[in-house]
Amino acid sequence: MLIKIAWRNIWRSITRSLVVIGAIVIGIWSIIFLVGMVNGMIESYIDNAIKNEVSHIKIHHTEFIKDKESKYYISDIASVKSAVDTISGVKAVSYKTIINTMIGSSHSSRGVSTVGVVPKDEANVSGVSDRIVEGDYLSDTKKNQILISKRLAEKLKVKLRSKVVLTFQDLENEITMGAFRVVGLFDTGNYMYDESVVFVRQEDINKLLGMNGYGHEVAILLDDLSDMDRVQQSIAKLFPTLLVRNYKEIQPELALFQSQIKMAGVIYMVIFMLALIFGIVNTMMMAVLERVRELGMLMSVGMNKVKVFLMIVVETLLLAIVAAPIGLLLGYLTTSYFHKTGINLFFYSDEGMKQFGMDKFIYPNVYTDTYLQLVIAVSLTALLGSLYPAWKAVSLRPVEAIRGSFATEKTRIFKRIINYIKTKLLKKQIE
Amino acid sequence: MSLIEIKGITKTYNPKKIPVRALRGIDLLIEEGEFTAIVGPSGSGKTTLLNIIGGLDRQTEGEIIVDSVNITDLSDNKMIDFRKSKIGFVFQSYNLIPVFTAAENIGFIMLLQKKSKNEISTRVAELLKSVGIEAQKNKRPNEMSGGQQQRVAVARALASKPKFVLADEPTANLDSKSTTNLLDIMENLNKNEGITFVFSTHDQRVIDRAHRVVTIEDGRVISDVKVEKVKS
Repeated sequence: MLIKIAWRNIWRSITRSLVVIGAIVIGIWSIIFLVGMVNGMIESYIDNAIKNEVSHIKIHHTEFIKDKESKYYISDIASVKSAVDTISGVKAVSYKTIINTMIGSSHSSRGVSTVGVVPKDEANVSGVSDRIVEGDYLSDTKKNQILISKRLAEKLKVKLRSKVVLTFQDLENEITMGAFRVVGLFDTGNYMYDESVVFVRQEDINKLLGMNGYGHEVAILLDDLSDMDRVQQSIAKLFPTLLVRNYKEIQPELALFQSQIKMAGVIYMVIFMLALIFGIVNTMMMAVLERVRELGMLMSVGMNKVKVFLMIVVETLLLAIVAAPIGLLLGYLTTSYFHKTGINLFFYSDEGMKQFGMDKFIYPNVYTDTYLQLVIAVSLTALLGSLYPAWKAVSLRPVEAIRGSFATEKTRIFKRIINYIKTKLLKKQIE
Repeated sequence: MSLIEIKGITKTYNPKKIPVRALRGIDLLIEEGEFTAIVGPSGSGKTTLLNIIGGLDRQTEGEIIVDSVNITDLSDNKMIDFRKSKIGFVFQSYNLIPVFTAAENIGFIMLLQKKSKNEISTRVAELLKSVGIEAQKNKRPNEMSGGQQQRVAVARALASKPKFVLADEPTANLDSKSTTNLLDIMENLNKNEGITFVFSTHDQRVIDRAHRVVTIEDGRVISDVKVEKVKS
């Protein structure tokens, strides 16, 4: 009965109900879209960081992370790779030599980190091979090739096929140098990264360093991120003397960024809920005020206060029940569409996005738990928003309300005094 | 024993500051099956008395016994249950639920009483027939005339088979034809089904049809006459 009367009541004033429903729909849609964008940005940032820099898991010499010196290498690094390859859940493994070098052209020189890779393996782990904008990726056979970013090429004023010189200290701390020919230019979108890293074949750099068969890092990519802890533990058991870290440990700022952005999402949701509460309270108060007489009648004929209270609460919840699926569906359809096509933020802030390590294309992504959280949040908002109007409704005195009066006790007494005086005066006049 | 026993009822509004004495000691007995009109000028206290009998308002002093139950000290919740089962109300402005049809308005109180669907539909059909608005059963209040709405209100008041019906100025908003129809219906219900009606009114048409007329002035009963005396 309560649901029936509440349902019909909400359609008494269609415009007013549609305004509230519209507000809830737009609110839900905007939160879904916002959360989708935020998730898309986080994923873009983390994906780029994982693909280009950190991978999912990395293995180093225990001292290497404190002081990136050539002497902190992993000996027989190929066998480490082979052992890791056998662990289930591992998608790809590459190993590399990493040294601090000075790259010089005829025009200028800069300090960079030179990464010596096995081209085929590295292509499976990092995204650099997919980010070549000019020329080619490193080949397995040609000697002394170098891959630099387009941005670094501009700074060094070099082009494809230009020669650059890498200068560094070998294992004996002797200054060594080697000439490399630019075979390709890459652009990851992350300027900081692009300006600080170059790629060569590991075989070439190791020869110059004098550390054949050694390497500084093993990078591992996983099939599924949820396997990360298990795989990390397995590797740590296999190589107890080496340092095995996941991407969150390697770059704690990634996790921090992730949690901060998620917190911002929660704050948006709370702001939305607060705004909605005021809208709902306002609408439901109007609904109560225009039905004072009817509420008085309901209480007079035997509808108890609990039922009157529940009727107002159910009315509000029904508004949310009508609006929530529409908002959720619109949000789902919008984010699903843009998840496929991506949103090009190039015109908005290409430079800014790149500097923050994100792609210019953001792919909004909303997880199932967000929809669930929104359903709970909207229900809670509707419930909270209905409490004050419902309380006002049950505060009505039936004897006053059936006459359509929302008056307080004081106004009632004042009216009675006036009536009493009027009657007395009338009586005297008649006499 | 009388259906309604009113003993020394007083009602004072705002007793601590500027006291306004609406009722100044009313004693009244209303028997089962009566068709009583409480009359008096505006501000005389007739609506206050009706509200107190109906348990919508509380007296300052005195006691009221309705159907052998002393309602003076009933809690709010018990009073609501009491009203639901024992008293039918007809209001001046009909006060129907606008989103319900005539039939739904009539059956509403029975829903509150948790009666079965079959029981409700049988009783609603019976009442629609007795007040002569079967054709309007699926119409909402805004699709009916004032007279039809007040007939629905009477049927609603009777739905729960109350001990008596309190009607506060039931004809105040009706034209003479509708008033006559409504009074015919209520008089028939009183005569044929023995339903007790207590009206507050200053409508002479209602007073003329009442079997007992209680006149109140300045919160006191100044006359209490049977219909034969009025007519004579």
